[in-house]
Amino acid sequence: FTMAAGGGAGNKTYSFKVVLLGEGCVGKTSLVLRYCENKFNDKHITTLQASFLTKKLNITGKRVNLAIWDTAGQERFHALGPIYYRDSNGAILVYDITDEDSFQKVKNWVKELRKMLGNEICLCIVGNKVDLEKERHVSVEEAEGYAESVGAKHYHTSAKLNKGIEELFLDLCKRMMETAQAEERAKGNGASQSTTSRRGVQIVDDDPQAATAAGGCCSSA
Amino acid sequence: MFRRHNGQMDLRAQWEKLKEFVKTLSLQRQMMENLIIAKARQDALQRKMEERRLRLQEEANRRFAASGTITAEEQEQRILYTNVLEYEQDHDWPKLWKANIKKNPDDATLVSGLVSCLLSCPDHPVMMLLKRLQYRVYNRLYPIVSKSLPASPALPMKPSHSAQSLLMSDSHQNASKSEVGHSMSSDASLNISFSHDHIANEEDGDGPHTLDRENSFEDLEQFLTQLDWAPSHGDPDVTFEQSQLDQEESLVQDLEMRDLKEHLKAIVKDIHIAIDQLLSLCLLSFECLNTASSKDLCVASIEEAFFTPLWSSLLALFRKVHRERELSFESSMRLYRDASPGDVGVASKLYPQDPVVLRGSYPYDSAVQELRLLCRDCCPQRKLECIVRTLRLICACAEDYSCLHEAESKTAAIGADDLLPILSYVALRCELPQLVSECAALEEFIHEGYLIGEEGYCLTSMQSALQYVESLHTGGFQLHNTKFT
Repeated sequence: FTMAAGGGAGNKTYSFKVVLLGEGCVGKTSLVLRYCENKFNDKHITTLQASFLTKKLNITGKRVNLAIWDTAGQERFHALGPIYYRDSNGAILVYDITDEDSFQKVKNWVKELRKMLGNEICLCIVGNKVDLEKERHVSVEEAEGYAESVGAKHYHTSAKLNKGIEELFLDLCKRMMETAQAEERAKGNGASQSTTSRRGVQIVDDDPQAATAAGGCCSSA
Repeated sequence: MFRRHNGQMDLRAQWEKLKEFVKTLSLQRQMMENLIIAKARQDALQRKMEERRLRLQEEANRRFAASGTITAEEQEQRILYTNVLEYEQDHDWPKLWKANIKKNPDDATLVSGLVSCLLSCPDHPVMMLLKRLQYRVYNRLYPIVSKSLPASPALPMKPSHSAQSLLMSDSHQNASKSEVGHSMSSDASLNISFSHDHIANEEDGDGPHTLDRENSFEDLEQFLTQLDWAPSHGDPDVTFEQSQLDQEESLVQDLEMRDLKEHLKAIVKDIHIAIDQLLSLCLLSFECLNTASSKDLCVASIEEAFFTPLWSSLLALFRKVHRERELSFESSMRLYRDASPGDVGVASKLYPQDPVVLRGSYPYDSAVQELRLLCRDCCPQRKLECIVRTLRLICACAEDYSCLHEAESKTAAIGADDLLPILSYVALRCELPQLVSECAALEEFIHEGYLIGEEGYCLTSMQSALQYVESLHTGGFQLHNTKFT
């Protein structure tokens, strides 16, 4: 009740849900742990460890609460995928640059997410383990080209070297805020209707203007 | 509660009438006194009432501005609100609490004090509404849930006292394997005491099932224990009215799974509407509760009061609808009774194989014990908390176990890749097929605000693990998935 999923208007706090997808060995756990490590004290993260993490941010004067949902990479847990990523504002799809197969898996998830959630969700495709550049099996051009073709943004990270992670999340947050604001505008001026419906069904907005706005902020210019 | 013979029924009906008459008399006297002694006060209240009524009307107009017409709900709300004002004329405690909270607006204990005070006043309009809405839901559940599957005809309907019903379920417990859920549900019946005063004073007509009011929730409890596990034996002591019995029997027999699901959906919707209605009346009665945190507390308390007596019958309906899934779960459970965590894909560094380390128990024992407690609670919020605690315990155990494996104290925090196999193992070990139905019910009643947070994450993971367990017995999945280590 106090948490308004999907972000709110004006000076309210935005609450965003981000799902983390990727095969078992691509390093998504280390990635998210790196990000949520508290710089100011070294205390342990949350009680659910790396599965579910929250982070409070302040971006251009706006408060943002991030809820990061890790998902199991194993095929056998995919049957319930949709209930994991329903109501998500963003998705981070991680592959290992040394593992071609993990990149193919990312493509499958993109298809599924677009099918289930439409263009409302901000997609990030992340090539992790750039510290192993020498063993790269997924070319930069291929990955970036693919990302652009599906309206996602591509990032390179190294959880080991703590490279590119802060930027990834900051960028994603800004994009999610833009999407939320565009959505608010499309919903009509000031009429602050609750953005969540009772059963948590994502409201698909087919207003062409909102669609272009979302597409614009999600493509990597 | 003693329904044995028609004679006694008549006697009771008369007794109820008499009580009602006496009550009416005393009410009249009270009103006279009010008029004479406190005319001035009443005038002031009257003014206040008018003012507030106007405000309410404005609010209602705003709310229904889109439709432009005065709806039945609006009408109902107005009537309810008038009842609240009338109550406040006769009782001082609402004013005292309001004043107190106004003086100390930041005192959270005052808010919870007020809410529990409200819950303990059965004659307050909010509580009257709560009872009425509960009965409405109960009366819709009763004909479906009290009937067993079409195969076993005419289950006996016996007069029951608390002790008897407890005794009954005790004996069933010994006979059944899955005793936990049922014994828990009979625990709940101890707390239920719907006084007949209340039932008699209810004046609303809820359709054809008003007779069901005569049945206490205990009857249902007794039924529930018989529903799945006990063979039915003919009992001559049937007091349920024959015509109604026939009518409902045919009704239930006609209900196929699809209808059952429709019914479930409708009841779930009713419950959501009921809770919303209760909350709005509550906030209307106590405007001081209309802050984010107080509202949360209010909802939690209302829900607990609302769900507690209803949960076992509600769950029974969910169990009927999800019977196939529960059976799958049970098959997997039997097949994997002695499985090790590794058999369901838990990484070997995340559980100790050394029996000495386990001290005669099995891995993740504490999480299994915690999850078993889920069936004891009767309100969705508490059940959710139980699931969250289970997952936290899993994470704590995993951390301990991985420290055993690696001498280095570097904490290896687990992610979903590790969490889900462990959770599946814990669910298997739990040996409670009704978890499937419990979680399906929780999915319906979890608040949207919690959906994005830790509670939502834990419930989603639980659902995912349960679905995996259900699929295990078909052998569709390869074990020892090599991807995982």
